[in-house]
Amino acid sequence: MRIVTARLSGFRNLSEAALAFSPGVNLVQGRNGEGKTNLLEALNWLALGRSHRGSRNEDLIAFDRDELHVALELEEDAGARLACEFGLDRSGGRRLRIDGEAVRRRTDLVGRLATVFFDPDSIRLVQGGPERRRQFADQGMAEIDPAYLAHLTAFQRALKQKTGLLRDLRRGAVNGAQARRELAAWNAELAHHAAPVSLGRAEYAALLTPFADRIHRDLAGTDQPLVFTYRPRLESVARAVSSGGDAGVENRSGNHALEQDVSAEMDYIVGSEIQRGRPLTGPQLDDFEVRLGGPDGLDLRTFGSRGETRSAAIALILARSDALDRRRGVRPVLFLDDIFSELDRERTRRLQEMASRLHQVFIATARPGDIADWRPEGLKAWRVEAGRITDIPADGGAD
Amino acid sequence: MAWEREANDGGEFQSPALERLVRGLSRLPGLGRKSATRIALHLVARESPADELLGAIGAARAQVTNCGNCGAITEADPCRICTSERRDQTLLCVVASPVDVLPFEKAGFYRGRYFVLGGLLSPLDGVRADDLPFDRLLARVERDQVAELIIALDASVEGETTALYVQRLLQGRHLQLTRLATGIPVGGALAYTDEVTLQRAYQFRRGF
Repeated sequence: MRIVTARLSGFRNLSEAALAFSPGVNLVQGRNGEGKTNLLEALNWLALGRSHRGSRNEDLIAFDRDELHVALELEEDAGARLACEFGLDRSGGRRLRIDGEAVRRRTDLVGRLATVFFDPDSIRLVQGGPERRRQFADQGMAEIDPAYLAHLTAFQRALKQKTGLLRDLRRGAVNGAQARRELAAWNAELAHHAAPVSLGRAEYAALLTPFADRIHRDLAGTDQPLVFTYRPRLESVARAVSSGGDAGVENRSGNHALEQDVSAEMDYIVGSEIQRGRPLTGPQLDDFEVRLGGPDGLDLRTFGSRGETRSAAIALILARSDALDRRRGVRPVLFLDDIFSELDRERTRRLQEMASRLHQVFIATARPGDIADWRPEGLKAWRVEAGRITDIPADGGAD
Repeated sequence: MAWEREANDGGEFQSPALERLVRGLSRLPGLGRKSATRIALHLVARESPADELLGAIGAARAQVTNCGNCGAITEADPCRICTSERRDQTLLCVVASPVDVLPFEKAGFYRGRYFVLGGLLSPLDGVRADDLPFDRLLARVERDQVAELIIALDASVEGETTALYVQRLLQGRHLQLTRLATGIPVGGALAYTDEVTLQRAYQFRRGF
């Protein structure tokens, strides 16, 4: 998948621009704070239907404008062209169009523009807290299976409701039997979504590991196998995952035996949950292990060096592309936002080569030296200065 | 008209009375300030339907009530559905809101009776089991010797949970508990069915 052209107006500090990109490597240079990341953010917005930095839509609109507008022309791997555009205004209005047709739900966007985004924050995937790893797996699984996203969204909604109920019960007088019946109903609904979410996470870890391992060997120049393993909080899920082989889509939802086990496991601890006033088990507490040297190898989450955790993180993130290709036949667009400062020279070079081999790549960097001696075919270079985007002619590239 | 445009731009009218009307209307469900303004101007215009509307609102408020038996909107309590001899009282359909009775009645195939819960379990909106008439539902099941209870609630997290609660409430009783099926709408194109609905329809596929 490639972004062929982009037209931007009113997006953060960026001046109006009409850009035609290279199908290979696009280099975006400029000092920090000039707008490099803003450009990547504008191009990546449609992938999630929101800012990858978590900014509010309103904050994306230039301070002196009332609305922003971004139009992208995409080319799918089979060659089909797709026109996508979005507009946001200050009163919260949002217009999304794909091939001229209005899109109402954000979930309908998922998978239309597939991207993988690297920035200094995302490559803390391995040494950071479990929430990062859950989000990573959830995003990866959601882009290959829309039903996963639906279950995840419903799970999160039901969890909020149950948390609200437990908070209520902790405060007020408890009508024991009725409170338990009410909680049991919420647990049953939670289990109905927690079971497929859990099996989806297990499936994604299994899908990703061989790809991540291969990338990691190339990137880090090591023979030590890299393993990404799902560690569910629910014991019933752990048992199902270790005993059941490959859980296909059909088995993931509608697995009534697992749903009942999960529901029973949740019911078993309602007493403590009422006492503590919050849910004490479930997929919201899952984690993923990242081990080097096989399933019993070094746990990089706690014992990895800075270099080891970064290489592992990059391998995992880049493996999302292979997983997406395997399941949906799509190669995502890659964004590498200022990450070379986090890597040594050798790894920088290897990542550049691996990334550009199969993907359209956007690289933002403040240090032209990082790519100085690298001249991939079809490279296009852009300079961003105070929001103004200009192209740098091929011969006079890095200064 | 220039003065109308000004109003739409978020400014206020020079007439406090009209301003009050606009604000009142914009509190109605589904109306923003823009639509409220349009309606208000229409209501104060020379050939206004306001008097007729006032009469209708007064009459509706005086006469409309909820059926004490099933909760449906009615002028006679108990309602026509609850008193009809031709309705099977052992067949009971549980819905969330009085509005949900309408599509069933419009379709005309349903020969049983209703029970309106008046809401769905949702602790975040302050709706707990105490707040819904589950005790009246139980009493109704006993009194009418209900043989089949059909749950027809929204396919949302709250609707599903409320259905699960009812299921637990009735556990161990001699009655058949059923739910509406979900799937591809009749006349709907398969190509435009969302993935989740399609997956459900696939899971509950049936033989010829």
